[in-house]
Amino acid sequence: MGDVVRYRPPRPREETTAAMGMVLFLGSWAMLFAALFLAYGFARMRLTSWPPAGVAALPWKLPLGNTLVLGLSSWSYQRAVREVQMARAARAWPWVAVAMALGITFVGLQVVLWRSVGRSMEPGAAGAYSSVFYGLTWLHAAHAAVGILGLGYVLARAVAGAYSGARHLSLRLWGMYWHFVGAVWALMFVTIFVL
Amino acid sequence: MKLPRYLLALAAVALSASALAAVQPEAGIGLPRDVSLNGHLSDWLTNVTHVFNIILFTIMCVWMGIACFKHGRAHEAEYDLGDDKRSIKIALMLSAVIFVVVDGNLFVNAIHDLSTAYWNFDEVNANPGTVRIEINAHQWAWDGRYAGKDGKFNTEDDVVVWNDFKVPVDTPVYFQLASTDVIHSLYLPNFRAKMDAVPGQVNHLWVQAKEQGEFEIGCAQHCGTHHYKMKGLLTVLSKEDYARWLAEASVNGQRAFDTSDAAAHWGWDWKQY
Amino acid sequence: MDTSTVARSPHVHDEPTSFMRKWLFSTDHKVIAKQFLWTGLVFLALGGTLAMMIRWQWAFPGEKVPVLGMFLERAGGMITPATYQSIFTMHGLIMIFWAITPILIGCFGNYTIPLQIGAQDMAFPVLNMMSFWTFIISALLIVASFFVQLGTAAAGWTTYAPLSTNVGTPGLGQTLVVAAIFVTGVATIMGGINYVTTVIRLRAPGMTWMRMPLSVWGLWLTAILNVLFVPVLGSAGLLLLLDRAFGTQFFIAGAAGVKGGGDPILFQHLFWIFGHPEVYILILPAWGMISDIIPMFSRKPAYWYAGTVWAMVAVTVLSAVVYGHHMFLTGMNPLLGKGFMTFTLIISVPAEVLFLNWLHTMWKGSNRFPTPMLFAVGTVFVFGLGGLTGLYLGTIATDIYLHDTMWVVGHFHLTMAAAAFLGSFAGLYYWFPKMFGRQYNETLGKVHFWGSVTFITLVFVGQLIVGFSGQQRRLYDPYQYTYLQHLLTANRLTSYAAFLLALFQVPFVVNFLRSVFAGAPAAQNPWEATTIEWTHAASPPPHYNYNPIPTIVRGPHELANPEVKKLTGRDWAGQAEELPAGAVPAAAKGA
Repeated sequence: MGDVVRYRPPRPREETTAAMGMVLFLGSWAMLFAALFLAYGFARMRLTSWPPAGVAALPWKLPLGNTLVLGLSSWSYQRAVREVQMARAARAWPWVAVAMALGITFVGLQVVLWRSVGRSMEPGAAGAYSSVFYGLTWLHAAHAAVGILGLGYVLARAVAGAYSGARHLSLRLWGMYWHFVGAVWALMFVTIFVL
Repeated sequence: MKLPRYLLALAAVALSASALAAVQPEAGIGLPRDVSLNGHLSDWLTNVTHVFNIILFTIMCVWMGIACFKHGRAHEAEYDLGDDKRSIKIALMLSAVIFVVVDGNLFVNAIHDLSTAYWNFDEVNANPGTVRIEINAHQWAWDGRYAGKDGKFNTEDDVVVWNDFKVPVDTPVYFQLASTDVIHSLYLPNFRAKMDAVPGQVNHLWVQAKEQGEFEIGCAQHCGTHHYKMKGLLTVLSKEDYARWLAEASVNGQRAFDTSDAAAHWGWDWKQY
Repeated sequence: MDTSTVARSPHVHDEPTSFMRKWLFSTDHKVIAKQFLWTGLVFLALGGTLAMMIRWQWAFPGEKVPVLGMFLERAGGMITPATYQSIFTMHGLIMIFWAITPILIGCFGNYTIPLQIGAQDMAFPVLNMMSFWTFIISALLIVASFFVQLGTAAAGWTTYAPLSTNVGTPGLGQTLVVAAIFVTGVATIMGGINYVTTVIRLRAPGMTWMRMPLSVWGLWLTAILNVLFVPVLGSAGLLLLLDRAFGTQFFIAGAAGVKGGGDPILFQHLFWIFGHPEVYILILPAWGMISDIIPMFSRKPAYWYAGTVWAMVAVTVLSAVVYGHHMFLTGMNPLLGKGFMTFTLIISVPAEVLFLNWLHTMWKGSNRFPTPMLFAVGTVFVFGLGGLTGLYLGTIATDIYLHDTMWVVGHFHLTMAAAAFLGSFAGLYYWFPKMFGRQYNETLGKVHFWGSVTFITLVFVGQLIVGFSGQQRRLYDPYQYTYLQHLLTANRLTSYAAFLLALFQVPFVVNFLRSVFAGAPAAQNPWEATTIEWTHAASPPPHYNYNPIPTIVRGPHELANPEVKKLTGRDWAGQAEELPAGAVPAAAKGA
């Protein structure tokens, strides 16, 4: 086996600059979601019972499944990155495809979740409780959708053979975005569905 | 010296007449009349702040003025970076002095005023004579409710008023504020008092009048098209007049009480903080 | 670090030739800056017109509005209570988001940052272009909201819920405006990402952090605040939009609340967590710019440069923990209130340091007063007055009486509006020769200044006076209240001052338009300034700014140094000006 050592070329200046921009961008989104979590905390602290009396609690099994789906998707994406870094760029695209498929599955399962909850609880039907559930999951899903488009772009580039060990900036940057989407979901799962 | 009875009667009529006189317009620019027990605390602090600010602002203007006029184009600029230890020490010390003297004074006095007066509800709660009033602010009027003899709100003997509040002089008046629609803010300019009425929560506020008379209530939070007209009247009566009014109004309230009118029973159990 | 022989950095695009790429969809930061400037000035005029309508209503309640009455045909030329709400709401929103932000941050940030740090363009030129066009989309949404049947937004610029929800303000107008605020927030964040990254990554060789012009510091700290806190406004706006359009109940309580409803105060928390940093966002660029302009015209280094930097940093850091002072009377826990009061008083300390430094810079200087210096000094004056009026508001005991009165309005107009307004003009007149390669008319500039600063002071002191007398904010007709009836004269006089303030902007408009298109050519460095945009770039600079990129050898304010005088015969040395080694310390003290 020849490629024992992972190839880490010195990054060109522009790549570090671009990565810094992405970090700031994600910092911005993190502040948005932090504010949403703050809103959730406020809403919950105010009410004596959560869920409010007469409202069914949210399901947890489907969201748990979805958490695993996103987790697997991120893991799959990282496999793709690793393939590129190990100078096996040609083998990267299937992993990106899997990550994208799992992302689409996630959004699909969210739709299933909304429909199953929607039968008993409209967005406004339970005041803050339903508002938090719908509001946060809708916004997260919107970000996931953008991420899926990004993965599609990365997939196209990977298939076209654009990535190499030395040059795979968009692969890295979209990876940062996608893992961010997954991390926010994990936090959401724990705070909204578990606690 | 004992005054003849008729003179006393005349005086009583005159006094009650002046109490029923309309709201007196203010005399001129500046703080409105203060008729409250604790308004002077805020006024004193405001005036002290004025003094500090006038001093600081004057220093700034003089400093700037001299620099503009005496250190003009003809003056040779001094090469001073201001970053030597001595200069920095002076700058920091100056800032510290201003901070401690001005901000410190504000801080200490504010904490004192809040803890002993404005946000101190202990004495008001303990005082058996405290008049309790629930206010339901809504677009665009002030509904008020007195508990009546039974001491409980939302019962038959409640006195419910609309924009027209009567309170006794020299007695703590304790308001609880709620709103059904948007945020309003109860504002009593002659008492230096203000508190928001927020839908979904009950806020509280207390004042005590030192003088009799009629004073305006304003709304101090933008609440829609007629925010500017959301004014009420606070009439401060003598203790006897107030008791008489309350008894009569309670009887009227009982007569007008309608069990089936759910909207009229907007009162709540007095909130214990 | 890059060698300075690179002709063009890889991310900087070739000079465009087509009209579309050169003027409409340009990625050149200098062009984008001007796009922001023109748009901002148009909205400044619109926001100012709305202000004149407010002043008209208070001076002549219920009377037909001259000239502008044609837009109020349905009401017979008069302002109705409903229209009045929209007027003050849109005045505030437009001034903050569509006038001052594009002028101070969109224009000056874009223009000066790359030039002053020695870069050939921003780090992300395409993102820069997108940020302008996103801003234009938000501007279109705002304009569209005026044509909605039920009227545009009407809940005050602070958009408090539940008044801003369907419960209080139904209709498409308010929704469009909330959407517009969200979109302009996105544009601002795009710009913020660009500015933060550019300053960190693209400084020229030798341009250390403590050698940066203070304008760049101010704009960089502003950008950090934008990146961190505009998203919080975004969240408030998003949740409000969900409440308005999808039936959620984040902020709806009271009779309309279901199962306990939401919390209106939550909106205020989210809004002010953004809102307080926002006022620093609007002033830090002005602070930074006058901290550079004053030394140039005092011919003296900025006094205690590091102190100014650390003061601005301290204000940036503290800005997030003082926000509760806007909410003292919402019924918050008294302990929380006292905490916010403490931090609010503390944040005045860095501001004091800034003042001491500005005054010390002018002291014993060789002060000359062309228009930029006049505006810079005017900014110091007006901000000093305004800052002091804030003390009463940060102290809860005195805030109880003054909260939501015109005192607050006077305070924030003096600090935020007037200082940002005057600071913007300081920058505009200062960089005019560089930006447009032409001279402006100095006499008209001075007329503009004296008229502006005089009437700004009168208008907003007038507001302080009526607020002190108890007049609440946002009253269509204050004279409904007996205790306010005597203020008609004061309000009328203030309105006259406001109309005169508007009149004195005409010299600026004439001067600006004439000079931009037909002014005499400007020299490269008419101010004998020390920063590299003056010493190393033509007026106006070429597409790539610098070729080669200069090497920085000293701080930004090498003025009045006797050693420099001996060597060059001048009282100044440029930031990238090589002087014989050993004769003068290459770096400014404390760099």
